[in-house]
Amino acid sequence: MNGSQDAPADGIFGLLPIWSRHIETSRKQTEDAIVALTARFSGIVQRIDTALNTSGTGAQQTDAHAEAQRSRQDLALVVDALKAIQLSRNELVEQIRTLSAYTAELQKMATEVDQIGFRTNILSLNAAIEAAHAGESGKGFAVVATEVRSLSNAARDTGKQITRKVGLINDALSAIGRTNEEVAARDDQTVRASDERIRAVIARFEDSTEMLAAAARRSHEESGAIKAEICESLVQLQFQDRVGQILAQVTASMNDLSAQTAHTTTEEADQAAREHADRMLSTYTTQEQKLNHQGIETTEVEQSAVTFF
Amino acid sequence: MAKRILLVDDSASVRTVAGIALRGAGYEVVEASNGQEGLAQLNGERIHLIISDVNMPVLDGIGFLKEVKKHPSYKFTPVIMLTTEAGEDKKQEGRAAGAKAWITKPFQPAVMLDAVSKLVMA
Repeated sequence: MNGSQDAPADGIFGLLPIWSRHIETSRKQTEDAIVALTARFSGIVQRIDTALNTSGTGAQQTDAHAEAQRSRQDLALVVDALKAIQLSRNELVEQIRTLSAYTAELQKMATEVDQIGFRTNILSLNAAIEAAHAGESGKGFAVVATEVRSLSNAARDTGKQITRKVGLINDALSAIGRTNEEVAARDDQTVRASDERIRAVIARFEDSTEMLAAAARRSHEESGAIKAEICESLVQLQFQDRVGQILAQVTASMNDLSAQTAHTTTEEADQAAREHADRMLSTYTTQEQKLNHQGIETTEVEQSAVTFF
Repeated sequence: MAKRILLVDDSASVRTVAGIALRGAGYEVVEASNGQEGLAQLNGERIHLIISDVNMPVLDGIGFLKEVKKHPSYKFTPVIMLTTEAGEDKKQEGRAAGAKAWITKPFQPAVMLDAVSKLVMA
């Protein structure tokens, strides 16, 4: 400024519209960028929300555990069925074993038949001797004695045959008992092996589902943490609203002063600037604008102060 | 049924931050970018709470608040002012016009949600 009373105030005041346009351009570019950034962050938050809702962890983990439990129960039923088959065969073998007791009785009865045959034979022999002593009159009785002897021999043969057959039945029953013991031992081993394999399969299945669930949980937690970070970044982006208001006030003020000082002398412009400075006080919206105006440096901005009326 | 909140602010970034927080807390949010647009939203639909900025183009927050308090259907709807204005004079102007709370920006969403839950109409 040259200080001349008649000189036009084109000097520094003439620069005001240029500075104002620069500031407005910067403000607009920042606002556009922040709004675009906010929209993108907001989109990311929504996509994370969708992912978190669809991936869900709790319900799936419960499903996996319930499925493992169901499989364990189903497979336990298979093992129980095998054990039941084993048990019913053992009962059958037990019944067969009771037959052995009857065969012992049969054996005894067969021996008695043989004894009866033997004693009848002796009796028929004595009868034959007595018939011989009787002479001609004992002839008929001798025929009877011979027939009785023949019958007693037949009875002894039958007794022996019964003994032989009962022996064969006994051998067969013993063989059945031995075979059953072998089969039962093998079955027992098979059932135990099946049980162990089933338990191993279930354990592996549970391990796998637990690993998957843990991975899903970690992923869920990480996504939640990322979402929280982005939301916090969005909160930080509020500076645009505040800075935008400060810059809008500056450009409006510059344009206003520029209009007031157009075609005025330097002295008049200086006076207009002083009056303008006073008016500016009423156009501030933030605390830092007021403090800056008074020449007090501001760094901290108070956050989220709530006043209830 | 979700409570409905009318959010009036000329800053898209502020609407986004507040909108995410409110929707995340289960509220339904209707947005407007100045007081006039806000009034257009008072069209008979039930609004349980209004959050409004103060410095906005076309119709500012205080002017908007005064119109809301004159509206036969919405005059009892609680209004929270959410603004960079921290001056006591401006706060008292808001209180006199019928605001229930004043929150200064930048705001923490949790603080805003706390105020909303205290004031939202049953």
